[in-house]
Amino acid sequence: MKMKKVLSMSLAMTLALSLTAPGWGKEAKAAETAYPVTVTDQAGREVTIEEEPQSLVSGYYISTSLLIALDLDEKLVGIEAKADSRPIYSLSAPQLLDLPNVGSAKVFDLEGCAALEPDLVILPLKLQDAAKTLEELGIDVLLVNPEDQGLLEEMTELIGTATNTQAQAQALLDFSSAQEERLSEALAEADKPLVYLAGNSDFLSTAGEAMYQSDMIRMAGGANAASEITDTYWANVSYEQVLAWDPQYIILASDASYTPQDVLEDPNLEGCAAVEEGNVYQIPGNAEAWDSPVPSGILGAVWLSSLLHPQECPQEEGQAVMDEYYGTFYGFTYSES
Amino acid sequence: MSIMGPSTDLHTVKVKVFCAAGLILMIFLAAASLFTGRYPLSFGALLAGDEMQRRVFFTLRVSRTAAGLVGGFALGTAGFVYQTVFSNPLASPDVIGVSSGASAGAAVGILFFSGAFAVTAWAFVGALAAVGLALALSFLDRTGRHGTIVLAGIAVHSLAQTALMCLKLTADPERELASIEYWIMGSLNGISGYSVGGNLILCLVCAAFLFLLHRQILLLSGDEGEARMLGVPVGRMRLLVLLVSTLAVACIISMSGLISFVGLLAPHGARMLTGKSSAGTMLLGGILGAILLMGADILARSLWTAELPVSIFTSLLGAPFLIYLIIRGRRGP
Repeated sequence: MKMKKVLSMSLAMTLALSLTAPGWGKEAKAAETAYPVTVTDQAGREVTIEEEPQSLVSGYYISTSLLIALDLDEKLVGIEAKADSRPIYSLSAPQLLDLPNVGSAKVFDLEGCAALEPDLVILPLKLQDAAKTLEELGIDVLLVNPEDQGLLEEMTELIGTATNTQAQAQALLDFSSAQEERLSEALAEADKPLVYLAGNSDFLSTAGEAMYQSDMIRMAGGANAASEITDTYWANVSYEQVLAWDPQYIILASDASYTPQDVLEDPNLEGCAAVEEGNVYQIPGNAEAWDSPVPSGILGAVWLSSLLHPQECPQEEGQAVMDEYYGTFYGFTYSES
Repeated sequence: MSIMGPSTDLHTVKVKVFCAAGLILMIFLAAASLFTGRYPLSFGALLAGDEMQRRVFFTLRVSRTAAGLVGGFALGTAGFVYQTVFSNPLASPDVIGVSSGASAGAAVGILFFSGAFAVTAWAFVGALAAVGLALALSFLDRTGRHGTIVLAGIAVHSLAQTALMCLKLTADPERELASIEYWIMGSLNGISGYSVGGNLILCLVCAAFLFLLHRQILLLSGDEGEARMLGVPVGRMRLLVLLVSTLAVACIISMSGLISFVGLLAPHGARMLTGKSSAGTMLLGGILGAILLMGADILARSLWTAELPVSIFTSLLGAPFLIYLIIRGRRGP
């Protein structure tokens, strides 16, 4: 699997570079990171990395997933807690499950992390205090905050530069933008059905216009029923609000603790168009939660577009994109997982 | 307090006026609550028998309004009972750990089961378990001292808080932790005709039972010897009324989450307005509780595009009212 992944990655990089650069040998050279390098992380801190990091700790599942995609999983010496709840690790890099865990954003294991003597630690923005302490211990730390598509791209570039994997990072970003463009062209003339996105914690929590999930609906050729909500975090609404919006589709977040069947059988939603038509689905979570800003987030829009617009975006086409993505960056075939 | 007081206070003009005014405001708010919400309801469509309008009105609006009305009334009445029985204006059902027990129970429901019913059921179990434990602990003190149940309640409260903390620690921050936190903030949001019935009926039965025992409850606040002479079995009666009022509170908060301030402020306000502790004051406490909860719920669902936690508004509305009463210089019992 590892060999297949390296080959796929080389092909993808070659393709990306040949598409973007006329003199690609020159570009490839420019994509190398010259150490020492000073980068500005997503907390605005300037971090100088003296040498290419050989051992990494990631305290956040989004950065861990990115490190696998950048083919850096072999360099990881510690990851966040509850790794066994992320199927992508067992599918792509099962050795990560045996690594020491450094805790979570709630309880970070500072000493445990320091004991691993990593060259570079990547932590979520919430762990700013831990970053400061690790810095005092002489360990380089990057704080990341991939809260939306723009910040996710910024994080990808940042980690690519810091770990000398800029070309891979660019290939990953190019894949997402190519899919976004494909969807935009295919759905330019299509109607935009109203979609209610129900959150992980509760059916009545939803994502407003400012949230990442709203972009996913837009890219998939739908309209977010909750677009009038301006909250930047999951907002709670009432049943009658959902009935007033009367969405044509109800989409459940991939980690929702309730099922489409629960929603279809909820007597409070009787009369709602999506329920009456049986248009209630859950975002697949076989590999990753595509409704969160993970590097594979674009696949959420690909999946949803096949559901909302089966004519313009056939399901087989979407499936092929998913296989290509995971085959290229994670070394496994999604449809067989 | 005069032992003749309870029978005569209800008939005093002042209490009657406050109760009548409170009742009018309560009915006005109930009507406003029926016609406030996100779904565009209209009288015409309702009367014309539009199926969707009828469904929203009867299943969602009526249930939510009933929950605010009955829930607020029960919280106010239970608060009055606690303050009277403990002769302490700061006493509330929280004193014996009912809220923290319900929170820990709800967290168990969120973490290990799925569905709104499981959360309500576990919150109810948690609340009752906390009360049961507090009462059992208080029985260990054979001297029957007045304050034992409070001490037992503090111990149970701490235990439940510790359990809640452990549960939060194991919760997934994106999903379960958010649910627990939102539940603790309290809201009448998810209430509908399919889920509310049993709780409200039990709550009403408890409130009716407390009003039937109003004379004994008022006697419990006075001299114990005097109450015994009048045939009130002080120890057992105290436990009984506390248990019933806690049951009423458990019925409400198990479906709404925690609702702050109503149980404390409503009876306080009633006492400050009437100047006495009587059956009329108990009724006014219930009415003020219903007014406060319904008013807060109307604001929680209409001020913002998203639903806001109701406790924000019970405190925002309640605190100025309490300050006004204090400034007005009225004194409690």
